[in-house]
Amino acid sequence: MRQINVIIQWFVFIALQILLFNNLQFWGLCQPQVYLLCLLMFPITLPRWADMLIGLALGLFMDILCNSIGVHMAACIFIMFIRQPLLAYFVQDHERLTGEISTQTISFDAFLKYTLILVFLHQICISLLSAWTFHHFGMTLLQIIISATIAEGLILGYNLIRAR
Amino acid sequence: MQSLLKFIQKYSNFLVFINLEVVAFLLLASYNEYPKSSFFSTANQIVAFNYQVGNTISSYFQLKSANEALENENVALRNQISVLQNQLEKSAEQSDYTYSHLDYTYIPAKVIQLTTNKHNNYLTINKGRRDSVYQGMGIRNAEGVVGIVSTVGEKFSLVIPVINTNSHISCKFTKNGYYGTIEWDGVNCKYAQLVDVASHISVEPGDTIVTSGLSPVFPAEIPIAIVESAVLKEGASYYTIQVRLNTDFRKIEYVQLINNHRFNELKELTDETD
Repeated sequence: MRQINVIIQWFVFIALQILLFNNLQFWGLCQPQVYLLCLLMFPITLPRWADMLIGLALGLFMDILCNSIGVHMAACIFIMFIRQPLLAYFVQDHERLTGEISTQTISFDAFLKYTLILVFLHQICISLLSAWTFHHFGMTLLQIIISATIAEGLILGYNLIRAR
Repeated sequence: MQSLLKFIQKYSNFLVFINLEVVAFLLLASYNEYPKSSFFSTANQIVAFNYQVGNTISSYFQLKSANEALENENVALRNQISVLQNQLEKSAEQSDYTYSHLDYTYIPAKVIQLTTNKHNNYLTINKGRRDSVYQGMGIRNAEGVVGIVSTVGEKFSLVIPVINTNSHISCKFTKNGYYGTIEWDGVNCKYAQLVDVASHISVEPGDTIVTSGLSPVFPAEIPIAIVESAVLKEGASYYTIQVRLNTDFRKIEYVQLINNHRFNELKELTDETD
């Protein structure tokens, strides 16, 4: 049952990303990568290399849908590489975590720091790799700040609603 | 040997990470500039089919504006027909008339997916190899130039529009015939930049920019943009020109593929010269 829930959640977030969040205009400054929640909430029971392969698969899938081969893939692999050490840093007894990572399984404070750092790093990777240049770096920086802030807000909001 | 194994064991995660990132960057480097594989893009049949289903639903909400656009296009085409008829009548007696416009025919297509808010935007159309679409084909709509086909699948194709930072389209000024190139800086989908325009040429806001006809992709005189501002920095030999694109990419729905019957012939000649 838990696996089915995870699959439905992944499907919904990917669909929302493709159909809604990728089409937000706002001068190209707002592209929140909400699908990242699928990776952030993924349980840490698997070894890190398996985590990275999952990141690769999801990233490649997103790249095919967005015509951006390599961009999401590189970003997702990076996130999955640093996710477990980061979580270990913020959560003292992280070995006991067997289920998905959310505000219900770790403290709000730890979840906020964990998601904030990863969402920003992911957005930095996506924006810089998509731009592939440092021209208009101010615009890219603004895009990173706006998109990551909105994505973090949505991720936290979703978790808080679910917790209730 | 044992120390090597220990090293690999100790840093196995890091080595996996480096290897996977290398794969990602190789893909990025080889496909990002010009996505060549229809499998790795929305020209992929399965992915495009999903977009087509979504597009069919959303199309019903845009019927009114689509009808208006078609009506406008009909009027423009009728005008064009009358102009061409006049030209034909006038030139019927001239033996050097070449019927150059017959080199091109148009294939209608529908946009099923597009992005306008990224640095490298793409659009997917519902025509592919089976409809005689080929790589390098030009695309226009009633308003003006749209882009160039980059990847061709069996039933769908991927297009690099003007609003892609890798797009470079040869153009000229209507008023004096001077050439330039239209590029996009990745910022605003309504505006592009006109480059390679030398300082001795007079450029005014409101000047119209059309295709040059120098490449086999587009016939001459298709509208592209209108000059918004032209700045000549002190000591610079070229203008910095901002142009407003004729095509509204946010509302684009129906397009026409420009089939140049002499494309291969001209391309072979160009390739040989290169």
